[in-house]
Amino acid sequence: MSNEAQIELVGVDKHYGQFHALKDISLTIEKGAFVALVGPSGCGKSTLLRSLAGLESITGGTMKIAGEVMNGVPPRKRDVAMVFQSYALYPHMRVAENLTYSLRLKGTPKDQALKAAEDVARTTGLSQLLGRFPRQLSGGQRQRVAMGRAIIRHPKAFLFDEPLSNLDAALRVHMRKEIRALHDRLGATSVYVTHDQVEAMTMADHVVVMRDGVIEQQGRPLDLYDKPASRFVAGFIGSPAMNFVPATVSEDGQGIVLDLPGASRLSLGRSLEPGRNVSAGLRPEHLTVTQTQEAALRLPVGVVESTGSVTYISSDTDPEITVVVHGRSPLSAGDTMGLSIAPENIHLFDVESDRAI
Amino acid sequence: MTTTWTQRGLLLAALTLAALYLFPLYWMYVTSLKTGSEIFATPPAFVPIDPQWGVFQYVWGLRGMGRFLWNSVVIATGTMVLTAILGTGCAYVLARYRNIWIDIALFLVLMLQVLPASLMITPIFVGFSQLGLLDTPRFAVILALTAKTMPFFVILVRATFMSVPSELEEAALVDGNSRIGAFWFVALPLARNGILVSAILIFMQAFGEFVYSKSIIQAVDLQPASVGLNAFMGPNTTEWNNIMAYASIYVTPILAIFVLLQRRIVSGLTSGALK
Repeated sequence: MSNEAQIELVGVDKHYGQFHALKDISLTIEKGAFVALVGPSGCGKSTLLRSLAGLESITGGTMKIAGEVMNGVPPRKRDVAMVFQSYALYPHMRVAENLTYSLRLKGTPKDQALKAAEDVARTTGLSQLLGRFPRQLSGGQRQRVAMGRAIIRHPKAFLFDEPLSNLDAALRVHMRKEIRALHDRLGATSVYVTHDQVEAMTMADHVVVMRDGVIEQQGRPLDLYDKPASRFVAGFIGSPAMNFVPATVSEDGQGIVLDLPGASRLSLGRSLEPGRNVSAGLRPEHLTVTQTQEAALRLPVGVVESTGSVTYISSDTDPEITVVVHGRSPLSAGDTMGLSIAPENIHLFDVESDRAI
Repeated sequence: MTTTWTQRGLLLAALTLAALYLFPLYWMYVTSLKTGSEIFATPPAFVPIDPQWGVFQYVWGLRGMGRFLWNSVVIATGTMVLTAILGTGCAYVLARYRNIWIDIALFLVLMLQVLPASLMITPIFVGFSQLGLLDTPRFAVILALTAKTMPFFVILVRATFMSVPSELEEAALVDGNSRIGAFWFVALPLARNGILVSAILIFMQAFGEFVYSKSIIQAVDLQPASVGLNAFMGPNTTEWNNIMAYASIYVTPILAIFVLLQRRIVSGLTSGALK
């Protein structure tokens, strides 16, 4: 991966009338990178992607693709390919025609276009289906055609708009790997929009978490997991979601007292202003069940759910604390469980600003 | 058991209604074949005793019916083409954009549908005469009819365009097409069925139009068949067989078109171009 910027956004703004959809977005995407835009629905991730494609016009800032300013440039002159959530295959064209549509628009000779279609069909496993209409294909096959239609163009960037959300769970996991493998093989720059943080974490080199039109945090997937910048990012990244407990910094400043039954104290390994109210974030997978007498926390067990490989234990407290245990657990509802957590795994957030402390 | 009886009952009801609705048509054909005295016989015969097949040839020759029908075809085709060309673009815009002005436009379009032709004809006549359009009366009728059929066409075709996902056009834009290209090569082919069906309905409507043609076209050799039929009618009309023969010649082609395209028309009206 080179360090050359393929896509560069500086202070991008987008208004729909009164609604401020994108607020001062600055983002640099390196050539060959796989970037995931992730966030809850309505966070502006799709709007940002559509702005990159030229389907929406931005109302402020600059947007560069391969060094050229793209503000106001129509989609056809941007040389980017997009894979839509609904695949958007042309229903009145056969697979081969769908694949070669962009080439034909560029005036590529018919035999060359057909050869390109055959090449792409081979890499995407569509060779037998070139003569079919989209309505005669299954969901996974349509997905591949949509991908093939993008690949055939060798564009400056691939834009994916939640391309896997219409597939069933098993196929989604499979296509996830396939898309990533394809990206690595083509070495293209990809921007991938999803609301599924697992997709973002597993596929991308660089994850951008958005909320309400603002970039909350961006970075490498594991950096976001290890060092979430805000309570929102902390809760969004990771599954099951992080537990948040109101807490107060203890009098010596070296620990926190959780607002849970038994006034449990956790030591921090760093010092903070005593008496300060914070929100403590504890990942379910970082909490370990221990002997009750050694435990920092002692909580009544509410629900125990086991999938066989992992067991989810929820406490009967408010707020509820979820713990993930590998393998099986002898605990059942009504028992008391002892929990401990390493100081470096405790995340603290400011109560007012929700930023990490 | 119950369901089959319900189905049979419904089928019977449907057949009865269809028979009631189609009886005048049957009566038209039958009457055209009857002799003068048979027409007024009581009780009336449901099948003519002595069918007068020569009546069709006689009526065809009587008043130059070929010319009347040709004028009808010219007016109907002109109206259909003009409506389709102007209405398709209009319907597309109304389908693709959503704001208060579009809502107002839609409301006005629907308002136009409410106004009856007999009310509109006087101002249209005065306006057209000022503009000198009455010198080309068939064209004037085409214009007036286009205005009348437009709302119907726009509403139908708009629904068709709305069933074409806009993502398809966006895909075409990203694939390298212009805005017009995306409309022309993606939206239009997918809306083709709906447009065709609506155009055929407009043709049939224009083919039978009477009020505007009667008022605007004075020259007999430019009048359409509907006005020609009216010329048969007088205070002491007894030529029912001739009138019915004329009507038969007039409506049979339309009926034939409808029967041939029936499947397409129904599917075009009920579903979009997709799936």
